[in-house]
Amino acid sequence: MQLHINPGDELPIYRQIMRQITDAIAGGLLPAGAQLPSHRDLAEQLVIAPLTVKKAYDELERQGLIMTQRGKGTFVSERLPDVDPEQRRERLRDSAQRLLSQAALSGVSLTEVVNLLEEIQKGMGR
Amino acid sequence: MKTLEFEDVHYAYQEGADVLQGVSFSLDEGEVAGLLGKNGAGKTTLMRIAMGIVGAQKGSARIFGLDPRKDAVEMKRRVGYVSEDQALPEFLTVGEVIRLHRRLFPTWDEPLERRLRERFTLSPKVKIKTLSKGQARQVALLCAVAHRPEVLLLDEPAGGLDPAVRREFLETSVRLLNETGTTILFSSHYMTDVERMAGRIVMIHEGRLLIDNALDDLRENYSLALIPQEGADRRRLSDLKGCLSVRVQGGALHAIFSCEPERCRALLAGELEIHNAFCTPIALEDMFIELVEGRS
Repeated sequence: MQLHINPGDELPIYRQIMRQITDAIAGGLLPAGAQLPSHRDLAEQLVIAPLTVKKAYDELERQGLIMTQRGKGTFVSERLPDVDPEQRRERLRDSAQRLLSQAALSGVSLTEVVNLLEEIQKGMGR
Repeated sequence: MKTLEFEDVHYAYQEGADVLQGVSFSLDEGEVAGLLGKNGAGKTTLMRIAMGIVGAQKGSARIFGLDPRKDAVEMKRRVGYVSEDQALPEFLTVGEVIRLHRRLFPTWDEPLERRLRERFTLSPKVKIKTLSKGQARQVALLCAVAHRPEVLLLDEPAGGLDPAVRREFLETSVRLLNETGTTILFSSHYMTDVERMAGRIVMIHEGRLLIDNALDDLRENYSLALIPQEGADRRRLSDLKGCLSVRVQGGALHAIFSCEPERCRALLAGELEIHNAFCTPIALEDMFIELVEGRS
C-alpha cells in the first residue's frame, strides 16, 4: 500500500494517514493480519516527523483497527471493531453531505448517485 | 531536565530597538519545533543566543542545562547548527572542511559522513569557493549532523535552495530523528516543510511569543472566520474571547480564533449576532499571514 500526504491540506498529516489506512482496510486493500510499515520506515518514506506517524498509529490502535505486537510489528486487526451504528452514520454524514451538494451542483440526480455508489462498490470487490 | 530552554530572553542591537522582549519556551528531548516569524522578528538572534554567538542582555538560554557562553566547548560537541549565511573557509577543499570537523567531534560518525557525501555527490577535492550555494549548504549540513548531535538548530537552512535539495535536508533530519532522537529547532519560510517536520509551532511577533502550540492543535482547534464587513465591528470582534487577530481583506473581516470552527460560529452568533460568518480550519501558511497582518 502506498500512502501519500499533502502538508498544506485542510486535514492534519496524522489524520491524512489515518484516513488512508482506514480506507485501505475498508476497501480490502489491507486485509486482516496484513503488516503495516514500522512508523520509522513510514516516516522516512513520507518524509515527515516519526512522531506524527506514531500518533496516527496510536489513534488507529485505539480505534481497534490495527494492533502492535511488540518486537514483531504493526498489523491490521483480525477482528475489526463493531462500531455503534449511530456513530457509523454520523461519521458518514459529512462525506455524504459533501457528495450530495456536489451532485446537486453538477445536476446529477440522487438515483444516479446511488448507481455510482453501487458501481464503485462492485469495483472494490466486496 | 529540558533539552533546550529559553528563559525571559531579551536582546536589543541598540538601546530602544528591542528585538526580543522576554521570550520563554523549552523543548523536550526528541521534540521538533518550527520557529516562525516575519523577517526581523528575532529568529536568527534567538538561535545565535542558543549557540552562544551573542549573549542575551537579560534572561538566558540553556542547552542540556549548560550555559552556551561559559560551557561552550562541551555544549557545541553535542549540538549541530546551520545558519542561513554560514561562511565556510573558502580556500579549503570540501575534504579539508570535513576533516576539520571530524577532528573536533569525538562522536563523529564516519559511515554517516560517507552516506551523506555520496548522497549529496560532494567531491572532497573541490574547493569551497567553487561550490554553488546549494552545495555549500549541503557541506554545512553534513558538518552539522555527522557527529549525531543531540540538538540541531537550523536557521532558515533551505533559503534559496531548490526543492530537491530542500527535500534532502528534510530526509536527513527525519533519519536523524529516527536514529538519534535529536531535538530540532528550525526556522523556515517554507510552511509545507514546517508542517512535515514540526510537532510544535513557536511563533515570535514583535519580540514576544505569539504562539506556542502543538501543530495539530493549531490545525484542529483554531479557525479563521470570514465576516462581511457591513454590520461587523472590528473593535468588538477583537475584544471577543479567543480572538487573536483581525484584519480587513477584500471587503471582509478576517479573524483568527483559538477554537474550532463550530464553536467559533456559535460565539459570533451568540455574542455579536453575526450569523453570516464563514468559519473554517486553517492551514499554517494562512494562519501565519493572518496573525502577522492582523496584529501589525
